Amino acid sequence: MIIKSNPDEIQNYLTDASNYSGKCEAVYIPESEQEIVEIVSRCNADKTKITVAGNGTGLTGGRVPEGGIVLSTEKLNKILEINSNDKYAVVQPSVLLNEFQEEVESRNLFYPPDPTERNCYIGGTVATNASGARTFKYGPTRSYVLGLKIVLPDGRKLRIERGQFIADGSHAIIPTEDGSIISFELPNYEMPATKNAAGYYCKEKMDMIDLFIGSEGTLGIITEIKLKLIDLPKNILSCIIFFNSQEDALDFVEEAVRLSRYTDDSIISARGLELFDKFTLKFLRSDYSNIPENAEAAVWFEQEIDGNEDELISEWMELISKHNGMEEDSWIANDRKEMDKFKDFRHAIALKVNDYMSQRGLKKVGTDVAVPFESFKGFYFDTIKLVCEAGLNYVVYGHAGDSHIHLNMLPDNAEQYNKAIETYRQICSNAVKLKGTVSAEHGIGKLKREYFKLMYNDDVIKKMALIKLAFDTNRILNIGNIFDEKYLT
Amino acid sequence: MKIAVCLNHVPDTASKISVGQDNQSIDTSGVTFVVNPYDEFAVEEALKTKEKVGGDTVVISLGNDNNKESIKKALAMGVDNAVLLKTNEIYDSLSVAKILANEIKTQNAEIVFFGKQSVDYDNGAVGQMCAELLGYNSVSVVVGLEINGNKVRAEREIEGGREIVETELPVVITTQKGLNEPRYASLKGIMAAKKKIIDEKIPENCSNYTETISMKKPPAKQPGRIIGTDATAVPELIRLLKEEVKVI
Repeated sequence: MIIKSNPDEIQNYLTDASNYSGKCEAVYIPESEQEIVEIVSRCNADKTKITVAGNGTGLTGGRVPEGGIVLSTEKLNKILEINSNDKYAVVQPSVLLNEFQEEVESRNLFYPPDPTERNCYIGGTVATNASGARTFKYGPTRSYVLGLKIVLPDGRKLRIERGQFIADGSHAIIPTEDGSIISFELPNYEMPATKNAAGYYCKEKMDMIDLFIGSEGTLGIITEIKLKLIDLPKNILSCIIFFNSQEDALDFVEEAVRLSRYTDDSIISARGLELFDKFTLKFLRSDYSNIPENAEAAVWFEQEIDGNEDELISEWMELISKHNGMEEDSWIANDRKEMDKFKDFRHAIALKVNDYMSQRGLKKVGTDVAVPFESFKGFYFDTIKLVCEAGLNYVVYGHAGDSHIHLNMLPDNAEQYNKAIETYRQICSNAVKLKGTVSAEHGIGKLKREYFKLMYNDDVIKKMALIKLAFDTNRILNIGNIFDEKYLT
Repeated sequence: MKIAVCLNHVPDTASKISVGQDNQSIDTSGVTFVVNPYDEFAVEEALKTKEKVGGDTVVISLGNDNNKESIKKALAMGVDNAVLLKTNEIYDSLSVAKILANEIKTQNAEIVFFGKQSVDYDNGAVGQMCAELLGYNSVSVVVGLEINGNKVRAEREIEGGREIVETELPVVITTQKGLNEPRYASLKGIMAAKKKIIDEKIPENCSNYTETISMKKPPAKQPGRIIGTDATAVPELIRLLKEEVKVI
């Protein structure tokens, strides 16, 4: 085990990709599950707070410590097994997602979850139930977790497989490896019917493994993960279509979603549908000079080809032309290399916006809201109207197929920043009113707790906190994630 | 005006390359092949030239059926016609140049584009050899190009700067990154490419002028060593750099 306490050496563990920063006394870097048990048991005995650190790619301060120690899982980074026959893999939490995906793809297998930032640890993606463009077809990380090994905040160990422990109504019973039992009542609250990464996954008769997925490290430390794999799709149609108007682009997305999800006899079945607005395209033009001058919006989509490619292309062409897409100027990837370039196109915008703001010493204010499909278009234009009325510059991009957008407000000064925060709150509030979520994929962490309260009242949050207390009686693990410490009294 | 573009189908530089059992060629199993990246600039420039001066474009590729994948990409980008000089032989630069020059002559192309080099063998020789064999003018490593009537004005990269060259048609141009940004195919382009016919020809027999004796991979990189994680490791680090690695 490595222990670091020199300020220069621990600097990197005090922040994440949100730039929120904190403090800690030391960073512990265990090399085995046993060492994690030792650290946790010691901390539990003297009530020292532990914040678990992944690779620091999160956007909500989840791994940022507010005192106590940091436990970095970075040395638990081995792929333990890839089983091609039964199509599963067993990994330690700090395997990099992109390396894992490359490894399984070299065996003609596929692990679909694809958050845009692929330098994340798989443990982090499970802790936040991460999702990405392909979630449109394949669902979030949750759908691929078959088993977990967890060290609880008091040092006990837990091994849970999907299907093994099902709640008896709202009564949850989870046996640990030493034979003791953890039991508690599951609160009854309505979760948004959208992509969601806000709060615990709770419902009657649930599979208890789902409680841990997306719990942002508050219930235990993941030490091993068993993941479901599927066959690698071979032929993919990957396109970027430009539009002269945002309305056309939104209508195109709406109909593509309808055909993909709700129309049985359509051969259109996208696996991802992403939107870029005109300001996003303006940012990207410096690197992608081929973006047509008059494009006001663009949509990226992918579909796996299993049958007649010509027929499929014709169907998409018809849809593009129906919604006035700039057919002649559309881009289609001819090979894997070009597909990757299209992926970079999506990734580049987040980096460019961050660079633009940090060069000016400013902070962006970015949403992670999602709303139900039927409300999306209205919500989209209302949101833009709000931001325009506040006089703020912005860019919008994101997972429009999942009715989930990242609207980044780009304030120019402190006054505008405050206005952006105010507008952000209004956007979250509007999303909640439509039965949406304030966080579809980033999680709540420490930065979105205030907005989480827009989704659930104090009573519900207290009930969630009681679940945490069933696992963490001494209140030491990842304190501050999801809910404020005051709920843990 | 006939505009030709010569296209090579090469291993993707991201592929892991290993030497085949004969020790004279690479093992192609599991290797992804792509259009030679520099040839993408050549295709784009051929299309832009056609858009400006008119005429017909033809893509010429030497290799086996697998090359059709790259040829189709050029067709989907908008090239009008395609010729596959079909062979399973592996030729050296001069043989490739002779075979391609013959076809260029048959096509009667006056402007010929090549990538500045193929990223498989990296000889960077075929374009210029072809020009010599055809008796055409030649400008290599081109990053800017203007063609007006018979006049060609090309900007090329040289050590530490750029050189402007003026010449006349017929000309061979080898293209470098920076000349243009290759377009992506459109859905329409893909559909149109499916209807275009690739003219398959058997090239005249040609013997190589060089012989590959053997191929081997560079020695594997040694794993790193952690000497320590704080200042106490510095003396040992200095000793190793002095005595073992001999860099200070």
